[in-house]
Amino acid sequence: MNNKKTFGKNTLEVITILVCLIILGICMGIGSVDIPFADAMTILSGKIFGTNIPEDLAATTSILWTIRLPRAVTAFVVGGALALSGTIMQSVLQNPLASSYTLGVSSGASLGASIIIVTQFTVPLLGSFLLPTFGFAFGFATVLIVLAIASKFDSTLHSNTVILIGMVVSLFTNAVMTLVSSFARAHSQQLLLWQMGSFSAKRWYHVQILLPICIFGLIVTLYYARSMDIMSFGDEQAYAMGVNVRKRKKALLLLASLLTGVSVCFSGTIGFVDLIAPHAVRIVFGSSHKRVVPMSFFVGGAFMALCDMIARTAVESELPVGAVTGVIGAPFFVWLYLRGRKEA
Amino acid sequence: MNAISVSNLSAGYGADPVIKDINFNLECGRKLSIMGANGSGKTTLLRSLNGLIKYKGDIKILGHDLSSLKRREIAGMMAMMSQLSPVYFSYSIRETVELGRFARHENERAAGSLLKTSHESLVHDREMVDKCLELTGLKDIEKKQISSLSGGQLQRVFLARCFAQETPIILLDEPTNHLDLKYQAELMEHLENWSKGQTQLPDGTKVPNTLVGVFHDISLAVEISSDMIFIKNGEVLCQGEKDKVFTASVLENAYGMDVAGYMNRQRRIWGKMREY
Repeated sequence: MNNKKTFGKNTLEVITILVCLIILGICMGIGSVDIPFADAMTILSGKIFGTNIPEDLAATTSILWTIRLPRAVTAFVVGGALALSGTIMQSVLQNPLASSYTLGVSSGASLGASIIIVTQFTVPLLGSFLLPTFGFAFGFATVLIVLAIASKFDSTLHSNTVILIGMVVSLFTNAVMTLVSSFARAHSQQLLLWQMGSFSAKRWYHVQILLPICIFGLIVTLYYARSMDIMSFGDEQAYAMGVNVRKRKKALLLLASLLTGVSVCFSGTIGFVDLIAPHAVRIVFGSSHKRVVPMSFFVGGAFMALCDMIARTAVESELPVGAVTGVIGAPFFVWLYLRGRKEA
Repeated sequence: MNAISVSNLSAGYGADPVIKDINFNLECGRKLSIMGANGSGKTTLLRSLNGLIKYKGDIKILGHDLSSLKRREIAGMMAMMSQLSPVYFSYSIRETVELGRFARHENERAAGSLLKTSHESLVHDREMVDKCLELTGLKDIEKKQISSLSGGQLQRVFLARCFAQETPIILLDEPTNHLDLKYQAELMEHLENWSKGQTQLPDGTKVPNTLVGVFHDISLAVEISSDMIFIKNGEVLCQGEKDKVFTASVLENAYGMDVAGYMNRQRRIWGKMREY
């Protein structure tokens, strides 16, 4: 069985990427208006290669190109970014249950958003990017605080310290957010909606911001794949094998927080993708990060696109996508975990 | 050449140093055992030799000042086999051993400012990994996942990884802990064979292999080492060539008990055993 696995790993990798992209394609096609495959292809080639789009497809074109496509791509990229950041967190903190939210990105971002919503503070220049910008700033600031406190307590930046401080700061930030929102009950609905997450009304300019950051993240993470392999054996062994753990850990944690922060501020705090995608990938492809990193990105992306498709089509009104990932993800995770234990 | 020279070394974790004022020179090709009772500072000394904890004083590795070296440079000269620790993510045995090549690659890359390591060094990698797997008897099961291994097998994988690091110095932190007698004997044999050899540094010079170990088991330490250093309450009690320092009185002082008498009683027990 082991032989077969190694023999086919590269092929399997290519097939997985293709399947993920096909899922993305299917997610674009399905919706309140079903778009036939041929029409979709005509429109796509028209938009990308400048070929002629027939007049009678004008309405479909605007649905596909301005609504469906950016939404599905955003979902895919956010899913990929969260999965990537989960992969980094798990390896760097040597904890298979660490997630991209371990360092308090989401609670920080929520606090930032709640302050904006409650105070109705505006910066005209930012327009609709006000919430994302502040969410990101607060989320990232929270991570910096966590890392600053952790390195003050423990100069080696041991994983347990980082996780513990991350939890404490997250809980504290959550409490402050509850306080803030309790002063302004009128806005609690808006805040709740923001937190639950959604990909509705995503346009190409969202993709334009997200995609470059994610591609940057993917390349940097791939470059550090070997170090991540080594770090997953624990700090001391990693030092002894020649990795400057402290430096690398900080860089990777900040990168993971950047990816999560950007995702959270565009789509809310959507859980489980970051936990499940790397796990599933490790079971199929092994732990080597050269494979785990790109595969997590694609699998996480496809899973998120699928969940978003379910969220917008399952019932008449739209479901919060964070709930969908949780409802599908939690049982899947338990199954994955138990299956793994049986084999071990 | 001195593999390791230490002067006025003190180190610890908090305000008070665990080890104080340690001095020694270890020539290349020697095998040093760090001896002492629990809590005497053996592991602290070993960890400071690898730059894993903050220290005061001077440590020189093959003539280079330890504090001025980068991690990859240290790892290019010195491998360390830590005590057995849990494995959170499963790799195949071969993948794990391959990770030992990391520091060499990084050093080569830095020296030649290459973006990619050359084909030649990749071939050398494969040969080296094969050799280390064969040496530790793991070649036949190289595709096995390390999460499914027993403690003894895992310990052998980590030893193979140390060998794969291709360094002239190996530090051992109680390598035989949790090992069955059979694996203990095997491990000691692998180490013994390795220490007779030489390692070529990236600059081409060949250096005899040097071993520094903390051993829980006194007999094993005596068996393998050429030099010994006894530590008590963080200070050197006695150090030098094995023949000179391995005495009943030193042992009694270091461990706070009549070690020689105890060992003799043990020997009498074994003497009474019937052959079949």
